[in-house]
Amino acid sequence: MTFQPVIVNIGEGAEGRLVFQDDQLVAVLVQLSALHGEQAGGWFLEPGFGPLAGPNPPVFADIDAASEWLAARLTAHAAISPPIERL
Amino acid sequence: MPTPLQTADAARRLIVKLETISSLTAAEKEALTGLPFKLRELPENSDLVRQGDAPREACLIVKGFACRYKVLGEGQRQIMSFHIPGDIPDLQSLHLKVMDHSLMALTPIQAAMVPHEALLAITRAYPGIAAAFWRDTLIDAAVFREWLAGVGRRSAHQRIAHLLCEVYVRLRSVGLAQKDSFELPVTQAELADSLGLSPVHVNRVLQDLRRDGVIASRGRFVAIGDWPRLKAAGDFDPAYLHLKAREAA
Repeated sequence: MTFQPVIVNIGEGAEGRLVFQDDQLVAVLVQLSALHGEQAGGWFLEPGFGPLAGPNPPVFADIDAASEWLAARLTAHAAISPPIERL
Repeated sequence: MPTPLQTADAARRLIVKLETISSLTAAEKEALTGLPFKLRELPENSDLVRQGDAPREACLIVKGFACRYKVLGEGQRQIMSFHIPGDIPDLQSLHLKVMDHSLMALTPIQAAMVPHEALLAITRAYPGIAAAFWRDTLIDAAVFREWLAGVGRRSAHQRIAHLLCEVYVRLRSVGLAQKDSFELPVTQAELADSLGLSPVHVNRVLQDLRRDGVIASRGRFVAIGDWPRLKAAGDFDPAYLHLKAREAA
């Protein structure tokens, strides 16, 4: 899994990471500003794609925590959803 | 034991609320005042009624804020409406015997419990009161339709601005808002759970609205800096509240 730095426009430019796995974009993380109180500095799962999409996006303390969570979700999904075969 | 003054306060709250949506005769108001209210104090975050309960009394909110909610898988919660003094959020339990959702105190609550028996008797004796209760539950449904449209199709900014407008107009209609400000004793996490947003998005939108001078907030109080802009930001049209006086014109 790789984390490519990017600036994300969330109303203003915010520090972000494009998250790739196997050359596919799987998520975008955005670092929370000082406006977010005790969560400031954490990484918010701004959008997750496919199995990482959901109604309750988490905030991670750091990139390592994000990496661990995202990888676990992707692995769990791959285990229950084998690639769709062409009809 | 509740004092006559306290039960009179409960009746007054109920009458003020019902008169925002219907007309009551002197005899109907007297009958409502005579309901056998039983006062209860509930702490913040306690359930007034739980999903699955078959209540035999309904709960009039006299003081404080409450919400209806459902708990979904993985501990997720959806809040479906907010309730203010004068509301009887579980009025439908008069006819729908088992609660399909729960009702929680968002602040310490003073509630006045009314036995179903007494409510059924008063609706039989006074068709005007039955019509007012019916209208109240129909308006409940109208509010749910509006929330559904919001959760399905409005942006985070629109949802939050719309909710602020709704709470303000409802509080003002029962005389519980100041001219341009009101109390909203709800956390950002509770707003998120009601609007289908993350707490991060709720915080961002509130910061934006503050920065743009549309609202100012201090603690639990929201001051409206620019009502026309807040209404426009929320795509808010109060018609769905079916208030007799067009409060938000």
